[in-house]
Amino acid sequence: MAREISPGIHWLQELGPDQRDNFELRDEPPSWCTPGDTVHIPQCAYLLVGSDRTLLFDTLSPASTEKLKDEVSSILGDRSLDYVVVSHPDIPHAGNAIEMLREYPKAELVGPGYGNDHELYHLDDAMKVVEGDTIDLGDLAVEFHEAAFLDAPVFVWMTERTTETLFPVDWMGFPHLSEDELNFVDEAHHDVGVEQLLHFHARVLFWHKYVDVEKVQREIDNLIEKYNPSMIAPAHGLVIREDAVEYMEKMKDVVARIQQTGRLGIIG
Amino acid sequence: MTVNITDSVTWINESIAHSDFNEHVSVYLIEAETGYIVVDSGSVHHRRSISEQLQDATDDKGVDAIILSHSDYPHSGNISEFRDRWGDVELIASSGSPEIQGLQNATKCTIGGSMDVLGREFSFIDPPLADRSHTTWIYDHASRVLFTADGFGNYHQPEEEDYTSADFDNVTPFEEIYQYHRDNLVWLRYVDPGKLRDALDATLNQFEVSSVAPIHGNPIRGSDLDTYLDRLIRAADKITNEYVVA
Ligand SMILES: [Fe+2]
Ligand SMILES: [Fe+2]
Ligand SMILES: [Fe+2]
Repeated sequence: MAREISPGIHWLQELGPDQRDNFELRDEPPSWCTPGDTVHIPQCAYLLVGSDRTLLFDTLSPASTEKLKDEVSSILGDRSLDYVVVSHPDIPHAGNAIEMLREYPKAELVGPGYGNDHELYHLDDAMKVVEGDTIDLGDLAVEFHEAAFLDAPVFVWMTERTTETLFPVDWMGFPHLSEDELNFVDEAHHDVGVEQLLHFHARVLFWHKYVDVEKVQREIDNLIEKYNPSMIAPAHGLVIREDAVEYMEKMKDVVARIQQTGRLGIIG
Repeated sequence: MTVNITDSVTWINESIAHSDFNEHVSVYLIEAETGYIVVDSGSVHHRRSISEQLQDATDDKGVDAIILSHSDYPHSGNISEFRDRWGDVELIASSGSPEIQGLQNATKCTIGGSMDVLGREFSFIDPPLADRSHTTWIYDHASRVLFTADGFGNYHQPEEEDYTSADFDNVTPFEEIYQYHRDNLVWLRYVDPGKLRDALDATLNQFEVSSVAPIHGNPIRGSDLDTYLDRLIRAADKITNEYVVA
């Protein structure tokens, strides 16, 4: 299932396995979790259908190849896919890129212009994008950015200019309940706060444990100033369409909290 | 090239070329009592060469088990090839969601825990220097070798390809350690070097290490580890100081 979060911007979500055990829910259920629900840290991809051109940002994991193909084709109808963007060559993000290029042979592969290992990831022939590069889709337009918070060097973030949407990929993910699949954060059954953001970042971006907290907090302030987004569309959470900047502010607390909690586990 | 690290651990090194230096993308072969274990599977780029070297190094017996540091393509690229070639190769991986990582039939190992693989004990360590969340460092109790990805690496010049730290004039050079970590563990631009040092010291205090065997660098002999570590922390310091956040 997919959801159109703004005219022409479609959100595709792969819930992935139940992560309850990861959160030790049996012993100490977090306040946001009701017993009986399954907990997910999803994969999200976004299909942008502009008046002139179309673009897929990330491709879900290899466990969802058919689902992705079906959903993209039903959204596109008789339109073609023009760009397949890989935010970074991590398997749960890039796992279906080759399959999508096979399905849409005219589509162009777009990858990060950062890092130096492209040949190890089949990205040597991709169109490489860096800070400030844009792709015009007609009534939508995307711009690429150097990723601030990431796991691997070959990595890029994206914004969509007309809607002021930030796609921060692995940053600002969080676990949610199965009943909130494709819900906006403001529709979720429980508030999304520092707690859920912590449970994601203290696992996935575990390196926050070893950082200079104030430096990361200053970086977050700079990102707020730079992007000032109206909407945030993460790769591992729910789309935030209200008070987006406040959620970025919460990330400053998350970084501080990780110094106390340490690493909470692994995901992926 | 194959280089013996201990009696039972062999480094099978492959490299890719960057503009003015090379980067290892290696695997390590362990001869256990009852079979052969390989740490990581290398990149598809080196599929043929790695497979053939493993075929030779195992006297045509092939590999029985793969212990995977993480599912990143340059590490997991030849799992299916090894299984096609040598049949029932067991895959031991720390990933909690192997199907999402594209891994088939994986036996889960737990970071922080230990496991017997082909009669040999391995411990799985939470790595302070890594990229993916599920990355594990792998400690082989019999040889006391610590296998690391992606941290503890270094770039190298072509003539240094088969070196261990002991073959350099004075251990692995600072510049090669620094450039490798700057380019590959980008989050070090936010690091507090003291916190990193504490975490690395804690790991090395817990496990007595004869050699560190990085996937992306020259192996570091235990006697060179202090020198390497000092350079690594100095590198982390330089990386974070060069990245100014106003
Ligand atoms: Fe991710
Ligand atoms: Fe990696
Ligand atoms: Fe790697």
